[in-house]
Amino acid sequence: MSEIRDPIAFELFKNAIFSIADEMALTVFRTTYSGVLKDNMDYSTAFADADGKLVAQGLTLPGHLGSIPTALEAVMRHYGNDIRAGDVFIMNDPFDGGMHLPDIFVFKPIFDNGERLAFAATVCHHTDVGGRVAGSNASDSTEIYAEGLRIPPLKMYEEGKRNETLFAFIEKNVRLPVKVFGDLRAQLAACHIAEKQFKELVARHGAPTVKLYMQDVIDYAERVTRAALRELPDGTVSFEDWIDDDGVEYGKPIRLFVTITKKGDELTADWTGTSPQVKGAINNTLSYTKAAVYTAVRSVLPPGIPNNEGTFRAIKVHAPPGTIANLVLPAACAARGLTGFRMVDCCFGAMAMLVPDKVFAASDGGNTGISIGGYDANRTPFIYVDFTCGAWGGRPWADGLDGNSNIFANMASHSIEVTEAEQPLQILAYEFMADRAGPGKFRGGTPFRRDYRFLEGEGTLQVRSDRRAFRPYGLYGGEPGKPSNNVLNPDGESRQLPAKFTMAITRGDVLRHELAGPGGWGDPLARDPAAVLRDMRNELVSAQAARADYGVVVDTVAWRVDAAATAELRAKIRAARKNYQAPKVAWRDAPKLSTAAE
Amino acid sequence: MTSFRVGVDIGGTFTDIVFLGDDGRILTKKVSSSVDDYARAIADGLGEVFREYKLNGAGVEEIRHGTTVASNAILEQKGAKTGLVTTKGFRDVLEIRDLRMPRLYDIAWEKPAPLVERYLRIAVNERVDAHGNVQVPLDPADAERAVDKLLAEGVEAIAVCLINSFANPAHEQAIKTIIRRRAPDLPCCISFETLPEIKEYERTSTTVINAYVTPIVASYLRSLRRQLDAAKITAPVLLMQSNGGLTTAEAAAERPMNIIESGPAGGVVGAQALAKRLGLARIITFDMGGTTAKAALVEHGEATRAGEYQVGGGIMAGSRLLTGAGYRLKVPAIDLAEVGAGGGSIVWIDAGGSMQVGPRSAGAHPGPLCYDLGGTEPTVTDASVVLGYINPDYLVGGALKLNARRSHAAFEEKIARALKLPLDHAAYGAVQIAASNMIRAIKAVSSERGRDPREFALFAFGGNGPLFAAMMAEALNMKHIVIPPAPGLFSSFGLLYADVEYHYSRTLRRLLRKCDLAEVNAAWDALANEARGQLARGGFTGVRARLKRSAALHYQGQTFELTVPAPDGRLDARAITVLEEAFGQEHERTYGHRAGPEEPVELVNIAVVGQGLAERSLVPDRIRLDRGAPATRPAPRKAYFGPALGWLETPVIARADLATPREGPCIVEEYDATCVVPPKARARLDVAGNIVIEL
Repeated sequence: MSEIRDPIAFELFKNAIFSIADEMALTVFRTTYSGVLKDNMDYSTAFADADGKLVAQGLTLPGHLGSIPTALEAVMRHYGNDIRAGDVFIMNDPFDGGMHLPDIFVFKPIFDNGERLAFAATVCHHTDVGGRVAGSNASDSTEIYAEGLRIPPLKMYEEGKRNETLFAFIEKNVRLPVKVFGDLRAQLAACHIAEKQFKELVARHGAPTVKLYMQDVIDYAERVTRAALRELPDGTVSFEDWIDDDGVEYGKPIRLFVTITKKGDELTADWTGTSPQVKGAINNTLSYTKAAVYTAVRSVLPPGIPNNEGTFRAIKVHAPPGTIANLVLPAACAARGLTGFRMVDCCFGAMAMLVPDKVFAASDGGNTGISIGGYDANRTPFIYVDFTCGAWGGRPWADGLDGNSNIFANMASHSIEVTEAEQPLQILAYEFMADRAGPGKFRGGTPFRRDYRFLEGEGTLQVRSDRRAFRPYGLYGGEPGKPSNNVLNPDGESRQLPAKFTMAITRGDVLRHELAGPGGWGDPLARDPAAVLRDMRNELVSAQAARADYGVVVDTVAWRVDAAATAELRAKIRAARKNYQAPKVAWRDAPKLSTAAE
Repeated sequence: MTSFRVGVDIGGTFTDIVFLGDDGRILTKKVSSSVDDYARAIADGLGEVFREYKLNGAGVEEIRHGTTVASNAILEQKGAKTGLVTTKGFRDVLEIRDLRMPRLYDIAWEKPAPLVERYLRIAVNERVDAHGNVQVPLDPADAERAVDKLLAEGVEAIAVCLINSFANPAHEQAIKTIIRRRAPDLPCCISFETLPEIKEYERTSTTVINAYVTPIVASYLRSLRRQLDAAKITAPVLLMQSNGGLTTAEAAAERPMNIIESGPAGGVVGAQALAKRLGLARIITFDMGGTTAKAALVEHGEATRAGEYQVGGGIMAGSRLLTGAGYRLKVPAIDLAEVGAGGGSIVWIDAGGSMQVGPRSAGAHPGPLCYDLGGTEPTVTDASVVLGYINPDYLVGGALKLNARRSHAAFEEKIARALKLPLDHAAYGAVQIAASNMIRAIKAVSSERGRDPREFALFAFGGNGPLFAAMMAEALNMKHIVIPPAPGLFSSFGLLYADVEYHYSRTLRRLLRKCDLAEVNAAWDALANEARGQLARGGFTGVRARLKRSAALHYQGQTFELTVPAPDGRLDARAITVLEEAFGQEHERTYGHRAGPEEPVELVNIAVVGQGLAERSLVPDRIRLDRGAPATRPAPRKAYFGPALGWLETPVIARADLATPREGPCIVEEYDATCVVPPKARARLDVAGNIVIEL
């Protein structure tokens, strides 16, 4: 680790290089065709040095943090010295540097006077890459070969010449080639902008200085990360959490297990003990597991740490091959997002054992994926892909957020009206549900439900949700949230559906999806009664729940807390607890409250 | 007797007043803002000018006003207690927003609280589909129950936004009738009237914002009128809108959502007018004050407009990608990029040993160390003092004594020593890093929009703009800088250049080549009639009422639109081709590529802008400032221009001295700002009294 050579010039360079990564991200955002990419911000842009070491990553999707070096390694492995000016690389193979098939990487090497100085890098989640289910997101495929087009590292452009064979091949194997090509164009545009701006930096500083500063930016991130880690207590902590099942072997829980060791200025996350890879398509690549660890750890460290190789040097991740955290052939992985979200929660859980005052309880479990696809009467295909999530666990200092994206994916929801204008769908409801969040001194955020009515003749509905059997945990006296739910035609036959499924639907069918409630933090009896009153008035907590969960009695005519009745009820509940000690981590409702308050 | 038009700009700390006489004379006044009742400072300030220059209310022809009253009400959550009526199933659209957060890896992030709390959001049973067909008719009894419930809660305003109402407003109108009947005087906004466009969250949020600030803005305007009347000023008040056009006080009270970003617009409009006069086709405005720096882009006489923005979102987010920091407002506004960097930004060393500037700011209180008001950390202004850019004894104008020693001591102790750098080098680094932060604002409006800043002139104003202009231009390879007269008061001066302007738009989702021409023409005519009617009410008819049509389009499947001007006259097949080509070119220019002719273009929104043009040129070509050079010429001082050049003897001059062009280094000290001309740069005065610097 070198000291900074000229701190001023360095800071100016750092600003410039991160601004290139952000400008690339803006370019993709503005140019993209597909709603998944734009609304879910399911893409990343970055800048790497000549060896593929990450120098700067734009602020888009935390889930991609760390994926780019792995992908670039694969390009280097395949092409070694055959990387030339004007080349553009493309790839998506999870077994050769990729993450899952919809995430297509595009890289452009940048040269100066014949010397390779850097790579501009982008990765975008595409609307469809073929395979057996529209949207290429199915959670119930059991091998990679069913999931779509597998692209090893290839040259998309060779010294400026378009690889027509490749494009023709892609065109014939994806459902919506116009969208896929539109988004590939967006990725190219971002790489071109990066190249142009990087060359301006080289013109200003000279290639040797730029090379030095890229290393300095990495060293700087390492110093900041290590300095922040040093502030945390040393120790080894483990955490266990479960995914309900893989959607293929129903009812067979999948174990996540992480051991975090923090010593001095280093942190290691070891996933030994995590379930072997599963049949369903929720297996992670190691790069995605790394992203989950980086996200959880970074969120506990102070803000402002740059995203690059330097951070990764101080945070080590280990996961045995053949596990759900590090897949090997022929594992399916299209819906691995689920596992990623849950690994973040698992890391947070472990960190909560190390630094209790810095970590929130479990969030809603990450996003639910809902795909509806088929053909209309004119045989024109339609694909609707919705990822939705939106409630955080209770925090040691405040309630969990409601109606806010998960920390692992800064997504935006689609506009209901645009969806109705473009898709054979109607959204019947999108609103909060009362009494679903985990109670606590600081309660979990309020989850919402979404109701979708299908308006076309027939189609395929595919849902990937979780947190049904294993609910979002509460921490330090906080209680778990309520489970997620899926119901077909809630106002008619009201059929319960599993958490993960693919089924045929016909005109008029309604799917109701209810998010799981996040966990609460701290003893609910310690919650400020005024906060309970506010929640009751806003119909997020019922009168019954206010009494049973919080021991709070509210006068609903004057909208006042009945202080005397509240004190009495809380004393009664406390007495009923006797020697009961709330667990640090709560997976089930505490037994005592409900009985005492009846 | 000379008659004056007056520009008044209220900021958080100061209220700036500029009088422009029809003889070209300019009188300026800076008074402290009166936060409890902003109108009082205006009346008092005008009174002070009257006394100082022996004028009276009869000499005031018109008052043009930029105000932050509405945005403050939102940011401080001090608007009206507002109720919202919405469609069953969608009670939480306002609060769920679009889920996105402006910060990553930050579990301490707090969402801005919704402007209408949930218990005041009431759903009614009704449903209209995407094509405007009624699926579930509105039950009047249900709607009455909803309205009565809100009235019983004592709401001061009601917003109504139903799903798909942009396609059929019948239900919203029925609810409005009920509200009118139940509470005739209660401010009530229905979304079809505020924003008849697709996207429920944007429309709900905009309608709510309009309702939320209506009572505050109306009472402020009433108070202002009362105090002006008391001071025997009968001149009409026009308000600056976020879009850079003026509106009457009556129209502003009705649609206050249009004046939320009123404050910063004045400077951009002034820059736009001056650039036109100077024959500059492309400028980037740079407005830097004590806490923020803002940039906007003006091309061929038109400032770039954004279709929507986030109130309070600009300076809280690190990047334009990360939205959600503020309150979404979908009304046209000058596209301003803002970063939280200014003279008060704090300079510090981070854990990695790197120097950082901001985002924390010492603000106006305690302010920089040299103000001696209790500040404890060095700021950008302190760095400018160390470097000799700012007069070490007093802030120009003389109002505030400075303590340069504190700046030196703190920079030495907290920054230079930690970095093992000489004091001057460290201070120079601080201003350069501040500049590099502010460059993000300029890039946001230029290179991120496919424009190369090198092809633009930098038009700098605000209290700190002229100090940093050359440094910013150098870093961006811009060659040409313009600094207008009274740069520190330019936001109020700029108001004097504005025209009256009204915007109307609506959603019409149609494939361009397949659209029903008669339908589109009829919709455009309806908007044009609305615009013409509003202009006529302000006395603008005939050639003084100018209408411009535009269309927002995208390739089918895209979720983001680009707005292009529409050809005049009836829309026919040829005009469709012209429109499609204009869109393709704009797409190419903004994104660097366009799709082939096989990809269908979709018309999303149509819009009409109605401009009321003044009878004569508003601002004379030659103007005379009342506050010229200081009585005594300040002594030259040493100023530091980087490790290569070091400390140079630098003349301190007045603006008028640049009538004779000269080469830098020199420092121009004025009443309201300090301008640094670096070595080798050439500075001169143009015919309009602007300082022009060539690098």
